[in-house]
Amino acid sequence: MNADMMPAAIFFGAIFTGNILLSNYLGMCSFLSVSKEIKTSTGLGAAVIFVMAVTTLLNWIVYHYLLIPLHLEYLRFIVFIVVIAAFVQLVEMIIERVSEGLYAALGIFLPLITVNCAILGVSLFMVIRNYSLVSSFFYGLGSGVGWFLAILAMAGIRKKIAGASIPKGLEGPGITLIIAGMMALAFMGFSGMINIS
Amino acid sequence: MASGKIVKTFITPLGKENPVFVQILGICSTLAVTNKLENTIVMTLGVIFTTTLSSFTFSILRKVIPARIRMMVETLIIATFVIIVDIVLKAYMPDIWQQLGPYVGLIITNCIVMGRMEAFAASNPPGLSLIDGLSSGIGYAYVLIIIAFFRELLGSGTIWGFSVFGDWWSNWAIMIMPPGAFFMLAIFIWIVKGRMAE
Amino acid sequence: MKKVGFFAERVKPVIIMAALTIICIAIVSGIHLSTQDLVIANEGLFLKKAVLYAGGIKLPETNAEINELYEERVAERGDIFEISGLSGDIAAYAFIIVGPGLWGEIEAVTAFTPDLASFVGVEFVKQNETPGLGARITEPWFKEQMRGKPFPLRMVPEGTAGASGEIDAITGASRTSAYVLQIFNSAGEKAEKLRKEGI
Repeated sequence: MNADMMPAAIFFGAIFTGNILLSNYLGMCSFLSVSKEIKTSTGLGAAVIFVMAVTTLLNWIVYHYLLIPLHLEYLRFIVFIVVIAAFVQLVEMIIERVSEGLYAALGIFLPLITVNCAILGVSLFMVIRNYSLVSSFFYGLGSGVGWFLAILAMAGIRKKIAGASIPKGLEGPGITLIIAGMMALAFMGFSGMINIS
Repeated sequence: MASGKIVKTFITPLGKENPVFVQILGICSTLAVTNKLENTIVMTLGVIFTTTLSSFTFSILRKVIPARIRMMVETLIIATFVIIVDIVLKAYMPDIWQQLGPYVGLIITNCIVMGRMEAFAASNPPGLSLIDGLSSGIGYAYVLIIIAFFRELLGSGTIWGFSVFGDWWSNWAIMIMPPGAFFMLAIFIWIVKGRMAE
Repeated sequence: MKKVGFFAERVKPVIIMAALTIICIAIVSGIHLSTQDLVIANEGLFLKKAVLYAGGIKLPETNAEINELYEERVAERGDIFEISGLSGDIAAYAFIIVGPGLWGEIEAVTAFTPDLASFVGVEFVKQNETPGLGARITEPWFKEQMRGKPFPLRMVPEGTAGASGEIDAITGASRTSAYVLQIFNSAGEKAEKLRKEGI
């Protein structure tokens, strides 16, 4: 474990310099399809922040207290995805019973999340980079916030350009990818400002 | 089964229904590895292996599995094949395994694999599902290989690690960095869609 | 609502799921166990290759030859690797150094001349830097430029290193370059300490 890796630095680094979407391309599928509207983007973004932070924490605990002692590290792909799927199911059930308003706002996005690569990606990165429990939590939280920011910005831009005339082949995914590229460029400007380790 | 159907199943995902530039699926895990041709090829082989066998396995089991747990079974099957890819790479190609890092694991959440299982394997016999999985994987692979070819060429001045441009070439660092991947894919989609529209 | 049997609705899915999980885990575990020896051998070999490379010894083609060469030329004393030259005298001392990188720890083998005054070579054992950018530290040109360099080192923009103690940084990966510099310099300090204490 690395003492130099401060949770706060990891948190801000995960939002800006190492944005999970713009620098690791994770969560692209739902990003491209959902970013058409600001409202749905906000809902999905919020759900991602929540699920990412909690599942990263859960997966850290499972990995370090269950898989490592049993020497089953190689099963981590299955175990992580099961933890994520089970957690998402559980949350969906709880929200459905507790608050209808919240279910209407978040509930419909939860099934989309299990297949959001960013969630699993964060858990896998946390293992490879050997983060501590606290760092992992902040890494998950920061990545979620970063993803939220990116999809919100994209939804806003797409709304602005909705009436613009775009070359035929570029409509839809094409222009979205170009905007994502420019956003990635802009976010790269943050590197150097924040020192992730 | 008419052989025409087999051919059609094989051809559709390569062009008209291409998972990458028509359905825009599975971009997540693999844009990241397209800055080097070698990594891309190993990665796409992993994806082809996984989609082919997952679709096949799921199609065999499709009548036994209750609807409630369908998604979970799909994930389990995919995860199993991905772990096999991971273990094999780790044992036989440790250098590449290290470079790919977590991206092998992310084949699990590659929407193409699950998408084909849901859309095709769930309602078709194993043989056809196998072909569909295979050709979806290939349709995905060749797009990525083209992108990786240009990214490596422009970004590092090399192909498969061999220098092709020599000293006068100054590398376009942006091609290797994340924005380059977005731009390359956008340009690719632009060209292909423009052609298709004609 | 139509009453569905408790068994078909609740128990059957669980049984099927459990059965499938067990089958899958059994298959995966089988493959894992059958390749385990190979993986361990790979990891050992990886370190041996790193030590030999850092020590400036040309790596032979096959794995068996690498193992043999390592046995012949390298002696492990505590955490120090003593690399001997063709004549049998000590040609280099090497040790593993770990430090923070941009995304995670960077681990490298650093080898020094017998007088512990300059680098013989370096090789990275573990790194998580950005592929194509920071990860270029593993490219030969970057590692080869360390050969024979005295420390402390200074980083200069890519392609401009000339004076002694200067090494080329990597364009577009300033942070990784800075971390690597820090790691190499701390390796230098460790070497200096070893020299003062006597090895």
